[in-house]
Amino acid sequence: MNTGFIMQFAASLAAIGTLVALVAWARIARPTPWLDEGRARALLAEDFPGRPIDRLWIADDGAGAIARCGSGAAAAALVLVRVGDGYAARSLPWADAVATSLRNGRLSLRLGEAGAPRADLVLGAWPPKDIAA
Amino acid sequence: MKTFDPVTLATPLFILLIVLEVVLGRLGKAKAEYEVRDTAASLLMGLGSTVAGLLIGGTIAAASLWAYQHRLFDIPMNAIWAWVAVFLLEDLTYYWFHRLSHERRFWWAAHVNHHSSQHYNLSTALRQTWSGGISGTWILWLPLSLIGFPPAMVAIQKGISLVYQFWIHTEAIKRLPGWFEAVFNTPSHHRVHHARNPRYLDSNYAGILIVWDRLFGTFTPEVDEEPCRYGIVKNLTSFNLLRVAFHEWAAMARDLLSARSPREAAGYLFGPPGWSPDGSRETSQMLKARWRAASPAAGTDPAGAAPAEFPAGT
Repeated sequence: MNTGFIMQFAASLAAIGTLVALVAWARIARPTPWLDEGRARALLAEDFPGRPIDRLWIADDGAGAIARCGSGAAAAALVLVRVGDGYAARSLPWADAVATSLRNGRLSLRLGEAGAPRADLVLGAWPPKDIAA
Repeated sequence: MKTFDPVTLATPLFILLIVLEVVLGRLGKAKAEYEVRDTAASLLMGLGSTVAGLLIGGTIAAASLWAYQHRLFDIPMNAIWAWVAVFLLEDLTYYWFHRLSHERRFWWAAHVNHHSSQHYNLSTALRQTWSGGISGTWILWLPLSLIGFPPAMVAIQKGISLVYQFWIHTEAIKRLPGWFEAVFNTPSHHRVHHARNPRYLDSNYAGILIVWDRLFGTFTPEVDEEPCRYGIVKNLTSFNLLRVAFHEWAAMARDLLSARSPREAAGYLFGPPGWSPDGSRETSQMLKARWRAASPAAGTDPAGAAPAEFPAGT
């Protein structure tokens, strides 16, 4: 391989490392406070406008939420997970969400997308006892 | 083919401007939000893009030379009118390349990574494609060499366009003077382009001149009452570079395997992003229509007017 290319590649990697270190030092990410119900509903409304939320559970670490929307066979779970200092939202059938069990206090929902394979939520209990599929 | 490369020359400037933006953000002198993993992903995507570009660069250069050998006219590289002409024609080509890259899924798969950050800062500008070469959009520039513009001239103008587009990836600059906003692509116009709010989807495809969007009906102004939310309609849940670079290709391959007819396969490949045979997924056009239906003011708001003649993507 061309020596010039290797040197340029190495210099680029060093520059990237320096810039990332500078960003870490600067601490100028968006503030991401503990998710509360109001904020979770607002975020879900951005991704799922007009879809009424029946129940909402906030993750124990405040970094995600899961909501139930609709009823019967059409019921959906709307999921919110923190990604860096932002959030990503997805929906999946409610039946799939309640069929997933907690493992070590973590609910790992299979989303099955290349860009979003799973959504992990820290929850004290799941599925909710008072609400069935 | 060794030639003058504006992007290579400008790279130290890119780094200095990122440092400046971060420092100004740290000091509270400018709006600049950077997240560590997001920044690392953007910069590494940029580095990977240059490597990917080298792999296909020979093919592109050979095709450009072939087109130039069959040129219709001899256009001199040292004439001012020729540079004015290549500036306008390259920028027009860029507009259509960019529009295609948003409105047809096959090319969106190569471009989506540039929009996958939930941030809008100078590092986002460097979050470039790894698969642009294999998606074949470089073919769109061959007619310029076929007309008679030397391939080096076209390559230089493409580089100038890329360098221009770097500085507009910022929230630090709010608005520029009216005449400039009317003619040129600016941070404000390009913020709209990177936004995922339904109001702003599939807008402002310009490279340097925003006049193309005004001319072809895809211009949407930034509205202070609705701040841009950056990213893609379905944001990624990971900073993994392979997922950033190839997630849409993987999703498209999966859809193709499930296609039940050639029509469905064609729809998955060349339909707008979000297209599905049963309409169960949402395209940008559908998202915008729903937003318009829910926002009565949108019907009279130029920012809410959709380009009716073209289907929209994400």
